[in-house]
Amino acid sequence: MKFKDYYETLGVARKASEAEIKAAYRKLARKYHPDVNKEAGAEEQFKQIGEAYAVLKDTEKRAAYDRFGENWKNGQDFTPPPNWNEGFEYADDGYGGAHPGYGGGFEGDQSEFFESLFGRGKHRQGGRGGHSGNPRQGMNFKGQDHHAKILIDLTDAYNGAKRTISLHMPTQDASGHVTTQERKLDVSIPKGIKAGQNLRLAGQGGPGVGEGPAGDLYLEIDFHPNPIYRVDGKDVFIDIPLAPWEAALGTTVNVPTPAGTTLELKIPAGTVAGRKMRLKGKGIPSAEAGDLYVVPTIALPPADTDTHKEAYQTFEKAFDFNPRTHLKG
Amino acid sequence: MTPVNTTNITWIEGSVVENEVHMSIVELSHAARTPQEMIMSWVTEGVLSPTGSSPQDWRFGGDSLRRAKTAAHLAHDLELNIPGVALALDLLDEIAQLRARIQRGD
Repeated sequence: MKFKDYYETLGVARKASEAEIKAAYRKLARKYHPDVNKEAGAEEQFKQIGEAYAVLKDTEKRAAYDRFGENWKNGQDFTPPPNWNEGFEYADDGYGGAHPGYGGGFEGDQSEFFESLFGRGKHRQGGRGGHSGNPRQGMNFKGQDHHAKILIDLTDAYNGAKRTISLHMPTQDASGHVTTQERKLDVSIPKGIKAGQNLRLAGQGGPGVGEGPAGDLYLEIDFHPNPIYRVDGKDVFIDIPLAPWEAALGTTVNVPTPAGTTLELKIPAGTVAGRKMRLKGKGIPSAEAGDLYVVPTIALPPADTDTHKEAYQTFEKAFDFNPRTHLKG
Repeated sequence: MTPVNTTNITWIEGSVVENEVHMSIVELSHAARTPQEMIMSWVTEGVLSPTGSSPQDWRFGGDSLRRAKTAAHLAHDLELNIPGVALALDLLDEIAQLRARIQRGD
């Protein structure tokens, strides 16, 4: 197990005051919050910050953690000494950093380091405390709604698909301990679904309390990154490189669509790089289907042989062409 | 290994929330794990715009679930108050629009 330097994570000195720790946490939390920061790795960073803050904001946990001394460095191999936390008492509020709904369905995923020191935080019933989560005897409640993100191919949105997905679902035993179990679901992906939309699977969430029905599972859809297509809502974009003579004289090109078909597209003479051509209704299908935009780019063949160089020189002689006339000087 | 008989798989059909689902405040509260009072205050602040005239009649469609989830995360994690959540959501929408414009090459 690797040691975690929580002070370094928050970028504060070991003797930092509670106010300094709070300010450092808030600043980092705003920066790396996964709803705000869409960079890869932000979510992981946010979890680390939350975990560090969960320890350092808590006087008891911080005092216990401080007993390891300041010689430990981030990432060093570490085993907690036996009875290291003897005499410390924690209010069992678990881990308040990460929260349900992020990642592939994980809830409350602390690091191994945190768990070995402070135990697995009790999973807060009802997540954010929105529902009076104390299941009283004889009461019936609908089970919790669960959320998970899944990645599908753009093709699946065009054609619809059947996919078996794996989710890591937290389950809570009678004593409140949370374990993560893998669960496979065979899901029908409806044609026309778009990134950011949610697919509701009725009754696939947490089990109901008493006679209450099971909760629902919400799958938030995103597309696998695609090397050929870019997507904005229901519109899809594809770059089509053209040779200079194709752009100047016009041609016909084959445009592959995410649906798996190929469309013939007439490129008019005098096509300019970046001037989009719209293929109406060839975007993601729906009642009002999106459009497929072809974005022409101009590719220059390299002048790497004498023949090629001559061709460029002929080109040069044939045109009185200065592309920089609009620049002064 | 248990032999898999593919013909026996029952594929779960879902509904696309943004197109087909119009949630009541009870459903949205449950799905976004947020108290109903909080959702009411977001409606007052214009974060969510349901159809219907009173909370009992409200129906939340479109991207209400996404907005409510984001609002709940921000309120919880950054301890933002209601106007703060509203401002953050507006700014996030604007950033998303600008990113989309870059993507489209407009």
